[in-house]
Amino acid sequence: MFRPQAMSKVELVVPEHDVVPVTKALAASGVFHPTLSSHLGGERVPHYAEDWQERAATFAELERRIMAVMETLDVDEGPPPAETPHLIEPETAQMDIEHLEWETRAPVRELEEGQRKLAQLQRYLDQLKPIADLEVDLGTLRNLRYTFVLLGTMPVANLERLQTSLELIPSALVTLRREEHLATVVLFGTQRDADILNRAARSAYLNALEPPETYHDTPAEAIAALKSEIERTRQYLTECQTTVDYLHETYVQRLCHLLWQVRASRTLAETITRYGRLRYTYLVAGWVPVSQMDTLQQEIKHVSDKVLIEVDTPSRQEDGHIPVALGNPLIMRAFQGLVTTYGRPRYDELDPTPMIALTFPLIFGIMFGDVGHGLVLALLGLALVSRKVRALRGLSGMGAVVIMCGIAAMLFGFLYGSIFGFEGVLKPLWMLPLENIMDILLATVGIGVGLLSLGMVCNIVNATLTRRWGHLIFDHNGLAGLIFYWSLLGLAASAFVGDLPISPILLAVLAGASGLAVTFSKVLERLVEGQRPLIEGNLSAYLIQTPIELFEIIIAFLSNTLSYVRMGAFAVAHGSLCLVIFIMAEIISPAHGMGYWIVVVLGNLFVIGFEGLIVGIQTLRLEYYEFFSKFFSGGGMHYRPLTLVSRGGE
Amino acid sequence: MSVQEVQAYSLVHATVRALYSTMLTPETWDTLVQAQDFDSLLNILSKTVYGSYLQIERQELTPRRAVYQIRWHMADVYEKLIRLTPEPGRELLLQLWRLYEVDNLKATLRGVETGASWDQVRHLLYPMTKYITLTVADTEKIVRSGDMARAIELTRHTSYYNTLVHALERYRTERNLFPLEVALDLDYHRWLWQSINQLTGIDHEQTLRVVGTVLDVNNLLWAIRYRVYHHLSEQEIINYTLPFGYQVRDEDIRAIAAGANIAQVVGHIYPNVEFPPLVSGGGALSALELSLRRHVVKTCRAAFIGYPFHVGIPAAYLLLNEHEIRDLTVLIEAKASRLPAEAFVSMLATRSPAYQTDQR
Repeated sequence: MFRPQAMSKVELVVPEHDVVPVTKALAASGVFHPTLSSHLGGERVPHYAEDWQERAATFAELERRIMAVMETLDVDEGPPPAETPHLIEPETAQMDIEHLEWETRAPVRELEEGQRKLAQLQRYLDQLKPIADLEVDLGTLRNLRYTFVLLGTMPVANLERLQTSLELIPSALVTLRREEHLATVVLFGTQRDADILNRAARSAYLNALEPPETYHDTPAEAIAALKSEIERTRQYLTECQTTVDYLHETYVQRLCHLLWQVRASRTLAETITRYGRLRYTYLVAGWVPVSQMDTLQQEIKHVSDKVLIEVDTPSRQEDGHIPVALGNPLIMRAFQGLVTTYGRPRYDELDPTPMIALTFPLIFGIMFGDVGHGLVLALLGLALVSRKVRALRGLSGMGAVVIMCGIAAMLFGFLYGSIFGFEGVLKPLWMLPLENIMDILLATVGIGVGLLSLGMVCNIVNATLTRRWGHLIFDHNGLAGLIFYWSLLGLAASAFVGDLPISPILLAVLAGASGLAVTFSKVLERLVEGQRPLIEGNLSAYLIQTPIELFEIIIAFLSNTLSYVRMGAFAVAHGSLCLVIFIMAEIISPAHGMGYWIVVVLGNLFVIGFEGLIVGIQTLRLEYYEFFSKFFSGGGMHYRPLTLVSRGGE
Repeated sequence: MSVQEVQAYSLVHATVRALYSTMLTPETWDTLVQAQDFDSLLNILSKTVYGSYLQIERQELTPRRAVYQIRWHMADVYEKLIRLTPEPGRELLLQLWRLYEVDNLKATLRGVETGASWDQVRHLLYPMTKYITLTVADTEKIVRSGDMARAIELTRHTSYYNTLVHALERYRTERNLFPLEVALDLDYHRWLWQSINQLTGIDHEQTLRVVGTVLDVNNLLWAIRYRVYHHLSEQEIINYTLPFGYQVRDEDIRAIAAGANIAQVVGHIYPNVEFPPLVSGGGALSALELSLRRHVVKTCRAAFIGYPFHVGIPAAYLLLNEHEIRDLTVLIEAKASRLPAEAFVSMLATRSPAYQTDQR
């Protein structure tokens, strides 16, 4: 649980005739992460062997064609099917898709052409509207002998630039209409400069309006003709749309089924192209969680008893690109999402999920302690998990986090004696934040010190796991850093509290020694780990740099620790916000009538929604920037088990 | 010094300082340049901040894939700094981040134009997962659309749609991606300028210096390229460039468009920047481009000196990071092609002689 699942490297030697069923079994197992093994082969592939690469390319092309048909019929591919569909031969799929294309091509083309025509007519109409009042024959404008006239539309942003570019050319640019992005303009000049004007207009993206020759009367008459043409086109489009809708209904299921069949076949072919190849066998390599290895072996043996399976479980420290499968219990999966948003743990380091599963609700609860508000959050979390509210289904993954935060808020609500902002109903088991501001701030700094120290301990554990002994001892988040941090805390405490179990002199000595170790950590780490040269670059630059870095470390310790004050501050702010709600409710209805309760309910909803969100963000911030930065580097490889029915894309 | 500024930018500044310290040192650059081959280069890079991004199967780590992987670092730092930076500075960083979305969109449209497959296009793109309007799924759909009009229709939900749909008319006539790409570039830089001008006080002053210089360099290079390579008319050059900037004025652009001596105009704008002698003759644009890139790098480094609580600091770091990755791209391609060091070392902007003296 505290580390990524142990992985085994599996290498299979599969007889040629079993490669398809074995690949299907590997995909069906849902635990096999394939790796490229084509380099493991090397013998010349016999001519009669099936060319999987070609099959994959054929299937990819077929998939593209199916998707094109689906797009034209506005069919959504929907979620992947629960079970892997039967694989299909390229020839069968090709016949199917050709039939579908033939059935849909003509109606869809008619619809598209109609839409294009309508858009074109609409554009002519829009461009003619600003000059509707002009008593000019459009035909005459087309055939002017000495005057250059260009009517069209262009981006508003280019207007000024076009005018600038034509400053030295006798011309006039008149804006007839200006919309959000586009302007309808007329550019006048002389025919002598027509080439310059045309090039300038084109470079300013002035698209000329060129109504068909049929519209040769005055703009008003052309507009009338256009309107009736638009009406006719709309009627035609309605008829086309009915046909396309019918096709949609008829073929929706067939298209989806065919798409998933082709996609599964394509994935299978692509997977096989990544296998190594010997004369009569395929070499398959990949990673499987150690815990799933036996089951997978049985499943493969069930498909074919001629497959040779070689399993090797490397040590954690072994260099290699080992995919990281996180094996956390169900309740922690949602928190795992928070971790992977920051970064995926490396195979050899701690998985911070259990830590965040404990500390995230704790921090949230401290800032948002209220029994009622916590209960509402927990119920909201349950609604998310149940996936019964359609609009919230996308957030179902976060349901468990919301539930845990809700429960923590309830617990702290009992400690603070607060329920829906009422602070006299429950007796506080600990303290009322509003009445003990200094106490709650100091307490949260104390919790912060604990969390930061936990982060450093995790860093020490990580260094032990990776056997980076220099880093373990001398890093500012390692053993020396931890001693330095605590001795500084001790020295600070000794200034306020007279009687400490450790003498200030001893603390000063510890701080001095560990401070020196941290200051020269880079050199000492390289010394211990046998890396040379000890100093990278210039010695004098290094000597100037190190005291500055020490100063930065001390400032970072201070700012990291004080960062946790926000937990107390938010606990106080939570109480204050609730207080404000009650003051407003009193003003609205001093006799505690309906108005009072409306304000209280709306105010509580506001606190839950608005403050809850802010507290959530602050909690995440504390986790990511104060806690994770102490020990967690991330960058692990994603464990992606083979599946034949994943969606297209990344 | 305002308390709000310090409060707002203290975390950002601390983070940028931490990130800045992870940039490649001159010693690492030297080792990278001297690397025997592509494999040795990867080995050295695996010990740097890019190491974790290169942890994929070696067989899959082609030069193109390696560039794609190290670009993930840029995505991570952008996402981190955007998240931390308060408004209105955040808007500026979002605009800087959008540049890569625009580049991705251009690469995707190139894919549509050439009929490339998704597999051919995907690793040419900048990896972007957050603060974007075009998702990977959208990009894949665009590539698979196989038709420019349909591809542009798939951007309907983005701010690029209006620009592209208008420029599509020209694409249809000219059958060339140039109008689409220029329209996207101009539109992007206008938005960038707008987000600079929305800032006030030291934020505006510093951003103008850092991001304004980038904008200037782009504008200047466009004007020169359109004149020298594309032989466009004066009016076209003016329409394809921007009328604003930090040091580059509209008069400079118009002078280049009108046929003035390029070396003189550039020398007038940047009297303190040393340009290679070839530029005076009007040729070797790549050498000029490199000098200007080095000027950008120098300006970004200079932003780290002095008062630190402003958005110029994260912006400067992000731009430096971009240049570092661009240089790494040159190195990766050079090592994969087994070029000797002298063939490519002069093409690195972050490892200029100035680097040695300016570093931190």
